[in-house]
Amino acid sequence: MSENWVLTETEAVELLALLISSARIQLDEPAHYAPLRLLTATERLSALMLERASDKSKAFLQDNIERIPEMHMAMSDVETYTDGLDHLCREVAACLLRHSSSEGASA
Amino acid sequence: MSEQVLNNIRTRRVVREMTDEAVAREDVESILEAARWAPTGGNLRPIRYVVVEDPQTRRLIRLVAPGMFQKAPVLILICINWAIIEQHRMTLSDRTSLVDVGCAAQTMMLAAHALGLASGPVTSFSKEAIKVILNLPGSYSPEMFICIGHKAEGARRGMRAWKKITWRDLTHWERFEDK
Ligand SMILES: Cc1cc2nc3c(=O)[nH]c(=O)nc-3n(C[C@H](O)[C@H](O)[C@H](O)COP(=O)(O)O)c2cc1C
Repeated sequence: MSENWVLTETEAVELLALLISSARIQLDEPAHYAPLRLLTATERLSALMLERASDKSKAFLQDNIERIPEMHMAMSDVETYTDGLDHLCREVAACLLRHSSSEGASA
Repeated sequence: MSEQVLNNIRTRRVVREMTDEAVAREDVESILEAARWAPTGGNLRPIRYVVVEDPQTRRLIRLVAPGMFQKAPVLILICINWAIIEQHRMTLSDRTSLVDVGCAAQTMMLAAHALGLASGPVTSFSKEAIKVILNLPGSYSPEMFICIGHKAEGARRGMRAWKKITWRDLTHWERFEDK
């Protein structure tokens, strides 16, 4: 297996705890909190992955850790929030391409 | 003195980035003592506090508390002890105890601010998961965490307001006109 393992089993369970708790609390919270919870999980997953990640993802993960808390506080500014999410979508797509092209090269 | 009190109320802000620096036990105790003086419906005092300083327990709590952005050295969990409410034959749907939670929360946050400490309330957590992690007695329901610590340098400002408001926007004087 040429791929990196980036999470331990305990870390994966920690992420599951966060996702499941997020699903539950969302039932009692305003709809616009849903993206906030997904982004919090994204930020925590990025932090867990960072240590063992390859150069193909490192900068992207680091950017998430720095940018996402900033975005949370701008939640009430819909335009800034949307721009921030669009930026992350572009960055994750570029990260996907880096991974898929090296996969193709090694196949 | 009254200006100092009002200023303490005006300048308290929720802090979501804290340092690892420990909080002195006597400060934690002062905050809990302040809460003891918060008003409570029927003078029943159904509120109980659970203080968590153990790093591993705090870590587990954060994993089931998606709304807990800060890594605070001290967590004070405000619980309602429903056994007390039942003892007084109040209905379990009674909302007074939730108001008690709010009174205690603000009292603790103002006390922390007066002591030069940072604080932040958190209700976005799974109650069921917290009951398991803290092994809470069956009659306790966990309602709100108050995170206490020291503000991190360069901590971001809080959530931006949806709309600028003043107290006047929130207040109506006297009876509403007939439609
Ligand atoms: C009932 C209640 C629940 C709250 N829950 C959370 C929470 O789960 N996470 C959080 O970061 N802030 C929480 N807050 C803090 C509010 O977001 C904060 O008070 C508000 O944005 C205004 O900021 P300020 O208190 O600094 O003026 C809560 C506040 C209250 C009163």
